[in-house]
Amino acid sequence: MAIISEGTLIGFALLVLAFVLFYLLMYLARTGYKISARTFPAVVALPEAVGRAAEMGKPIYYTTGLGPTTLNDPLNGLQILAGISILGYVTRLAVKSGVKVFYYTPVPDSLPLVEETMRTAYLAEGKPEEFDTNLINFAADQDSSLTASLGFIQREKPASSILLGGFYYESVVLGEAGNIVGALQIGGTANTHQMPFMVATCDYMLLSEELYAASATIAGDPDVLGSLKGEDILKMIILLILVIGALLSVAGVNTIIDILGI
Amino acid sequence: MSQIYRKQLVFVLTAIVAIIMVMSYFFTYEGITPITNQIQTWALIIQLIAIGIGAISLIRVHYRTIQRRVPGRWFLSAWLLIFFPLLTLIGLVNLATGTMNPFYDWVFTNVYVQGGQTMYAITGFYIFSAAYRAFRARTWDAALLLIAGCIVMLTNAPIGEVIWSGFPVIGTWLLNYGQVPAMRTFLITAALGLIAFGFRALLGKEMGFYGGGME
Repeated sequence: MAIISEGTLIGFALLVLAFVLFYLLMYLARTGYKISARTFPAVVALPEAVGRAAEMGKPIYYTTGLGPTTLNDPLNGLQILAGISILGYVTRLAVKSGVKVFYYTPVPDSLPLVEETMRTAYLAEGKPEEFDTNLINFAADQDSSLTASLGFIQREKPASSILLGGFYYESVVLGEAGNIVGALQIGGTANTHQMPFMVATCDYMLLSEELYAASATIAGDPDVLGSLKGEDILKMIILLILVIGALLSVAGVNTIIDILGI
Repeated sequence: MSQIYRKQLVFVLTAIVAIIMVMSYFFTYEGITPITNQIQTWALIIQLIAIGIGAISLIRVHYRTIQRRVPGRWFLSAWLLIFFPLLTLIGLVNLATGTMNPFYDWVFTNVYVQGGQTMYAITGFYIFSAAYRAFRARTWDAALLLIAGCIVMLTNAPIGEVIWSGFPVIGTWLLNYGQVPAMRTFLITAALGLIAFGFRALLGKEMGFYGGGME
């Protein structure tokens, strides 16, 4: 009897390769091997977004997406968690500058996590008494409830609007609402169908995997830099397989296709 | 339990659950199936508890808004606090009929659907406005986007083929050979990012979403 489930051998091998590579580079980074990572303009712009809000005396609008989803959702769950990670950082910056961050979500099971993250950010900055649960707004995940966010943006005219997480069609609507009120906008999603809209409406953008790496690069942790380097090496390996596979396929040799089980 | 131990516990549990779930996907060992089923049931229960906590938090927030008579908002909170228990109660009392209950159905059809459609229509203006913004040819990139967008629109609209039979050919080529490779590139990189994020979470290195942690 086969130990590995049918059709998953290559996937398992690649996953093991990825884990080994990540671990090795994380270890090397910890022991002094210098890994340089490019800075994401969107991450650099986060303090600017907070500073702008402080100067203008306006709040910040923040959401991890307003579509129907849960944290268990394989497509959006981790994107929401990545967005919440960055929310912690933004909240800390905002607390230092006396700026309010208004967070909107339709994901009920993320509410306790968001509350904990924001509360801890206030605590870390020595102002726990300033934390207010009214900063966290729950809106239903139906399309019409999107107007709650639009209403907030129209009324409060936030200085900055941060859209980081798993987005559906609301990305274009929120992006445009932010543009109308002149907010500095930072967007980011791994949902390919929404990237063009964010690029069109946001000032800064975290594309695809950058969203997952952003929160980690803020800290400059060597472990994280190691895993980022691992990602880049894996990209090169995949690119190599793609090029060789395409050339062999053109020549009528389907070895790579057979191995990958495509 | 101290905050440090609470965090450690979360990471240890996350790692154990992740390893079991990954093993169940790749390996055929039958003994693991009941464990993964049990974990999935627990996950569902925990998720429902989190939703319950979310509901309680929502009621608390709106109760406080009414208590403080927040201008422009307190009556909306009151509206929520009237309908929230009312609809819950109707749902509980009429478990047999569920959403087919006449009162529930009336509220849904005559209040929710009508209001929802009205508000949904508002968002259409934002989409038009955003499309205009995206299609302004301010740079070479934007001009290319404008041209490609127009060709794809003419491909999808029947009038495009009437104007020139080449529009659907170019439009289909743009969709299949221009768009698909770019989208797949993003999909592959997103998947790699996801694996790296999961690996860091597994090792307890990704803690930003649990009460901050970016020191």
